Amino acid sequence: MIRFDQVSKRYEGGHEALSQLSFHVAPGEMAFVTGHSGAGKSTLLKLLGLIERPSHGVITLDGQNLSKIGRGGIPKLRRRIGMVFQDHRLLMDRTVFANVELPLVIGGIAPVERGRRVRAALEKVGLLSYERQLPVTLSTGEQQRVGIARAIVAKPTLLIADEPTGNLDPQLAVEIMGLFAEFQQVGTTVLIASHDLPLIKRIKKRVVVLDHGRLVADVAAQEVL
Amino acid sequence: MTTQPEFPNEMPIVPEAAPRVERSRARPVASWREHHGWSAAASLRRLMSRPVGTLLTVAVMALALALPLTFYLLLGNVQKLGDVLGQNQTVSVFLQPSQSGPAVELLATKLRERADVATVTVKTPQQGMDELAKMQGFSGALHTLDNNPLPYAIEVLPKQGLDADAVARLVDELRETQGVDLVQDSGTWRQRLDALLGVGNRAVLVLAVLLALAVLLVVGNTVRVDIASRSEEISVLMLVGASRAFVRRPYLYAGIWYGLFSGVLAAGVAVLVEMALAEPVTRLSHVYDGKLQVGALPLWVLGAVPPVAALLGWLGARLVSAWQLRKAA
Repeated sequence: MIRFDQVSKRYEGGHEALSQLSFHVAPGEMAFVTGHSGAGKSTLLKLLGLIERPSHGVITLDGQNLSKIGRGGIPKLRRRIGMVFQDHRLLMDRTVFANVELPLVIGGIAPVERGRRVRAALEKVGLLSYERQLPVTLSTGEQQRVGIARAIVAKPTLLIADEPTGNLDPQLAVEIMGLFAEFQQVGTTVLIASHDLPLIKRIKKRVVVLDHGRLVADVAAQEVL
Repeated sequence: MTTQPEFPNEMPIVPEAAPRVERSRARPVASWREHHGWSAAASLRRLMSRPVGTLLTVAVMALALALPLTFYLLLGNVQKLGDVLGQNQTVSVFLQPSQSGPAVELLATKLRERADVATVTVKTPQQGMDELAKMQGFSGALHTLDNNPLPYAIEVLPKQGLDADAVARLVDELRETQGVDLVQDSGTWRQRLDALLGVGNRAVLVLAVLLALAVLLVVGNTVRVDIASRSEEISVLMLVGASRAFVRRPYLYAGIWYGLFSGVLAAGVAVLVEMALAEPVTRLSHVYDGKLQVGALPLWVLGAVPPVAALLGWLGARLVSAWQLRKAA
């Protein structure tokens, strides 16, 4: 599904966020990318979403070399990926329904089908009754669940999340991680960047550990203590 | 293909065939039309949500568009006035005193046959004397004359629509004609007027181009500010897979709306100017036996202003949004 082969990323100014990183995530696998602040977790996810381009190395997604995707192909790639952000990235002047509907509108889904899918996604994250509300009226945890509903509504093959529980209390964080685990159980590949080690240990999935942009450990799910 | 269930607990193990992609391929036109409709409505709602700002932008654009229209209207009316004055413009040909009545009639007949002459009127010396007698201050003086010193005169009215060069050629030929003593041509002023109208027409054209550029800049800057204020939304749209064309569409419609509204307003301003001109032109018309009518802008010009302005609005928005979105994620 995802393959990083000797991938490096050096930003303008010389800071090297990733250095010769190589790893592979199988289809339907769930993995955490962890490390301290500045380890390169967010950069790794940005490379997958083509928000950034690698300086060296090759990244393949479903066998497709991401370096060969031109500017025009980026939207198409992003429609295959569900992205969840720490700051939710919701449109505050649109309702919960309209926020979740966005990927389907962009994908050209018919209105009736859109309504059905949005309600199914909102039901999955427990927010069906909030569909007409504006995100500002929701709590941080609820906003994050709206972000997750938006990420899954188009049924992506890959779900990536950057610190999805960063602003949540521990109980809510476990619930959110539980949702990701459910998606993985039905075949969606899930990659989560998080520095919350206690939480990662509770979920018991594969953990890729980065330090200063280098891979320092790759712990299989069954080896997580 | 496996039936695609709704969400995780129903999802297939390998959910590779995302139905959304299949459906978007199946209904690209419907989806495209739907988004155009949404973009047009949403951009209109955004404009209406800030009425003062929108009105100011539209007013500035409308004035920029109305200026060349008004100048064009004024020039057209000056041209019409010149034409009407030109109708009364006769070339007076004074013949030598030795010319007899039959010789004068022969010359008049030859002149009537010319293609560039509309009418020819012969005035005998007696008719000339009678006209002078009617003029205040002359009647007493004329009684002191023993005989009529006036020659035969022919008043030649050039064909309507003749340009200044053609009238000048006619006058030159009349001067060269045998038996002609003096030719009085009051058409020099017309030459000057035509030259001034030529300069005016060119100035209107240059002004129209410059003000069209101003309209582009006004729309461009408005859209630039709009895009800058919605950078967060644009970033989110692009992160969830929106193409640049998709993101840009509402801004293009905003440009079209700005152009369309300002075009309608500019046409309205031009009509108001026409109405304002009507009354003084009517008064002037009485002086010229009602021959002068206010020259209105052709309907096709008024009708073309809104779509052309909408096109300018679209172009301004297109240029700026392409440049702005290139910087987006």
